[in-house]
Amino acid sequence: MDTAVRPAQAETALLLNHRATRRRRLSRTGRIIGYALLVVAALALLLPFYWMVVSSLKTNNEVYTTPIQWVPKTVVWENYLDIWRKSHMVTWLKNTLILSVAVSALQVFTGSFAAYGFAKVRFPGRDLLFLAYIGTIAVPWQSYMIPQFILMSKLHLSNTLWSIIALQAFSAFGVFLMKQYYETIPNDLSEAARMDGMSEYGIWRRIMLPLSMPALASLTLLTFVNTWNDYLGPLLYLRDPSLWTIQIGLRSFINEYNAEYALIMTGSVLSVLPIALIFLVGQRYFIEGIATTGLKG
Amino acid sequence: MATLLPAPARRRRTVWRDTAVGWSFILPNFVGFAVLTLVPVLALFYLAFTNWNVFGLAEWTGPANFQRLMHDASFWTALRNTLYYTVFHIPLTMVASLGLALLLNRKLRGVAFFRTVAFFPYIAAIVATAQVWNMLFSPEYGPINHILHFFGFSGNPGWTVSADGSMPAVIIVGTWREMGYYMLIFLAGLQTIPGELYEAARMDGANAWHRFWTVTVPSLRPTTFFVTVMLTIGSFKVFDLILLLTNGGPGQSTLVLSQYIYQKGFQENQFGYASAISIVLFAICFLVTVVQFLVNKRRNA
Amino acid sequence: MKRAITAVLGLGLAASLALTGCSSSDTPETMPTGPVSITLAGWSLSTTPEFKTLADGFHTANPNITVELKEYDASNYDTQMTADLAAGSAPDVYVQKNLKMFYTYQAGGQLLDVSDVAKGLTSSPGGLSGYQVDGKTYAIPYRQDSWVLFYNKALFDKAKVAYPDGSWTWDKYAEVSKSLTAALKTAGSKATGDYQHTWQSTVQGFALAQTPGASLQSGDFSYLKPYYQRALDLQTAGAQPSYGTATTNKLTYQAEFGKQQAAMMPMGTWYIATLLSQQAKGDADAFDWGLAPAPQFDASTTGTSATPVTFGDPTGLGINPKIKKEKVAAAKAFLAYAAGTQGAKSLAAIGITPAASAAVADDFFGLKGMPTDDLSKFAFAKHDTKPENPVSKYTAGLQNVLNDLHSAVLSGSKDVDGAIGDAQKRAKNEVLNS
Repeated sequence: MDTAVRPAQAETALLLNHRATRRRRLSRTGRIIGYALLVVAALALLLPFYWMVVSSLKTNNEVYTTPIQWVPKTVVWENYLDIWRKSHMVTWLKNTLILSVAVSALQVFTGSFAAYGFAKVRFPGRDLLFLAYIGTIAVPWQSYMIPQFILMSKLHLSNTLWSIIALQAFSAFGVFLMKQYYETIPNDLSEAARMDGMSEYGIWRRIMLPLSMPALASLTLLTFVNTWNDYLGPLLYLRDPSLWTIQIGLRSFINEYNAEYALIMTGSVLSVLPIALIFLVGQRYFIEGIATTGLKG
Repeated sequence: MATLLPAPARRRRTVWRDTAVGWSFILPNFVGFAVLTLVPVLALFYLAFTNWNVFGLAEWTGPANFQRLMHDASFWTALRNTLYYTVFHIPLTMVASLGLALLLNRKLRGVAFFRTVAFFPYIAAIVATAQVWNMLFSPEYGPINHILHFFGFSGNPGWTVSADGSMPAVIIVGTWREMGYYMLIFLAGLQTIPGELYEAARMDGANAWHRFWTVTVPSLRPTTFFVTVMLTIGSFKVFDLILLLTNGGPGQSTLVLSQYIYQKGFQENQFGYASAISIVLFAICFLVTVVQFLVNKRRNA
Repeated sequence: MKRAITAVLGLGLAASLALTGCSSSDTPETMPTGPVSITLAGWSLSTTPEFKTLADGFHTANPNITVELKEYDASNYDTQMTADLAAGSAPDVYVQKNLKMFYTYQAGGQLLDVSDVAKGLTSSPGGLSGYQVDGKTYAIPYRQDSWVLFYNKALFDKAKVAYPDGSWTWDKYAEVSKSLTAALKTAGSKATGDYQHTWQSTVQGFALAQTPGASLQSGDFSYLKPYYQRALDLQTAGAQPSYGTATTNKLTYQAEFGKQQAAMMPMGTWYIATLLSQQAKGDADAFDWGLAPAPQFDASTTGTSATPVTFGDPTGLGINPKIKKEKVAAAKAFLAYAAGTQGAKSLAAIGITPAASAAVADDFFGLKGMPTDDLSKFAFAKHDTKPENPVSKYTAGLQNVLNDLHSAVLSGSKDVDGAIGDAQKRAKNEVLNS
């Protein structure tokens, strides 16, 4: 696929070169206008988060009012103390972190490994098998979650953290994503390595993995965020309060006839911060990518 | 999907050896996938032909569930609404996320900050997202209608609480929420395009617009394929956003297939019938995916 | 056997259950002599004390039986329970949160016949009939909330409008609501006359319970028309926040009434406990409030000499058929305890309306912060509470159809007649005939 994708000029380009930096010189005024637009857009994108923060500083009965109070009348900092005092935030954070790390690691490993098989090795039935992978993504989860739950219970996995790891770590998503990225990597590279006697596993580890750092980073981030924010899976499988994740823990502020809306928002703010931080750190892989981690010759 | 160079360049290997190597790569993932996902999904295909009530009882009813579907007006409403959402959500999200990725794929002061912000709608709690948008759309007190009035627009669109405005509102929020997610995937795709290609194009005298079409678009094709497929499936399966924004209403104006499946299964305990609807949803997604797959293959051939 | 049971069971229940034990000799369940523990499902345990109250009270009365609580999510209780029952991992005793799902569990064979417990109860608790199918009882109610009218005495005083006196029909209610809104506006308050929450129950529950001859299963929903016309009229008059505003801003009834945004609010008696605790904590303003009977369909059921008609679903306890045989007697004893006077008193003490409500009215009104006027007591103790979800195969499906009607009408996207016509057609094609 990839050889065909690349336009004719590609053949002339050196393969293992440093990637050239692309600088687009914009005029000064254009740049200022661009930044102004970006800042306005950024503020708009942050609006729900701002609302979460404001709500976390209100009392329960002030969260939902008409008209909206964009600035709280009185600031209630106590919510941030209460949530540590009244709930088991530490346990929830710990469980969520364990799950997110374990699932991301497994997903990245098994996903990128399987993706190599689908992208770079040719064998009969490959495309059919791949379609089966994508096919299961198309089945809505709520329709097979009960059969799956019965199965997991038979395997004695439900009500353990293992259930969520098992559920998320082998999803078709990672395989599909990595396969698509591998196909952008020219075959000439692996072919050259094969000539040198490198095994397929060696090619995967020494060439494919380093070259797909941006893709691995995005898969890690997406898996991490999805596991972190997953709500239905833990709801069904993690019943013991000592196993709860943040999303489930926050649900426990809602009871039949009332809800601690302000505390829920406080918890939501706290749960977003770690991901934002990880993203801020992780996104540097999208700038450096091949240039620093790749094969330098 | 040719991944091999012409025969002479490559040591001859037997087919079975490639098969063994291929499977050895796929197996670690496949074992988990087959046991935990494939088996329950296959069970679903059986249950769609029964009157399963979830507590064990499942009598074979043959195609009865599918016959019932044909005459179920609510199913057709849900299907229509799902298509409505899909047809608008896919291109909008595609353009928005690719635009964002192109914008943020350059050395820019504070680019880390802007990328994080673009991703924020996806990581912020969906409950908060739905609520804030609902408040913004609020017909009497919401800022959106205030702004419309300011620009001389008369009338008071009801957005999430009107039959005509609810689906557009849902599409807007859906696009807004997911564009950062797909931006990230596009961003990673853009990063894997070798810079030499751009250099070469520049030397050929191509301008930015031309470079976009001759270098970026073709090189990005595997990524675009992934995004298209995931977006298609995601749009057909849209569920929690709609549940929180409009709960399918008002009336049935935003009822979608996933929600209908949930209603029939978990609320009305007709799991057999719900399974049948899932199969239809699956079939549509799968058909579209296969078409995309074939188109993609032909383009690369 | 008689001896064994009387030895274990405490207080008033003992005699009656002992008799049951004799009469139904075909069930050879005996109360355990050694320590036994049964599991009970509950939701949001840290904020919902009723399950622990019942479990602890029962353990005190029966020291060798321990009730272990299993936690569930309040808003996804039935989804979780369905999964647990399907996988065989559900607790011994589980709560019937509403009547809509009761049919599913009962018809799915997930509830043990507990007719002997029902027979043994000294007084029939409210809502019991809802759990009876073909002459057998499958769950025992322990709480029964009914819808009443909450009103804010301070706002009524401010508007110089007379308090409800128990004689109101819905037309009178609408009229008072409008004059309250106007008078409050003149007095410089932004509060509305009334607040009807966005649930379909606030309109449909009353319409179904009060309209003579109305029936859900008939598929004829014309009985809804006057109730919707009134609700729309109140919206247009500005006497209550519009449906669009209430849903998009996710107005909570706790804030609308507790923060004095509305002078009247029809709501279930469960709100009493919430209001008391919110006023004590400062989440709600401190003001005098009272209860009045729900407004009536016509004058025939108004006045304190008549019995006002209202609605509400009971909350009951049922037994999982997969329970170990030696635990059945203990589980049944727990059901009887929860529905009996003892259980009722302990529930009333935490502000919950038990199924045996008449017996505990004094305990209830002794709580700090409760109103003390006679009409409030009357409204709490006396009413004919009809089920919101009459048990049948079709109820869940019909309620879904009617929920669509509710949002379509109140949002103004369909007129009342058109929406009722559509709902009737859908009910016939998709629910009753499928």
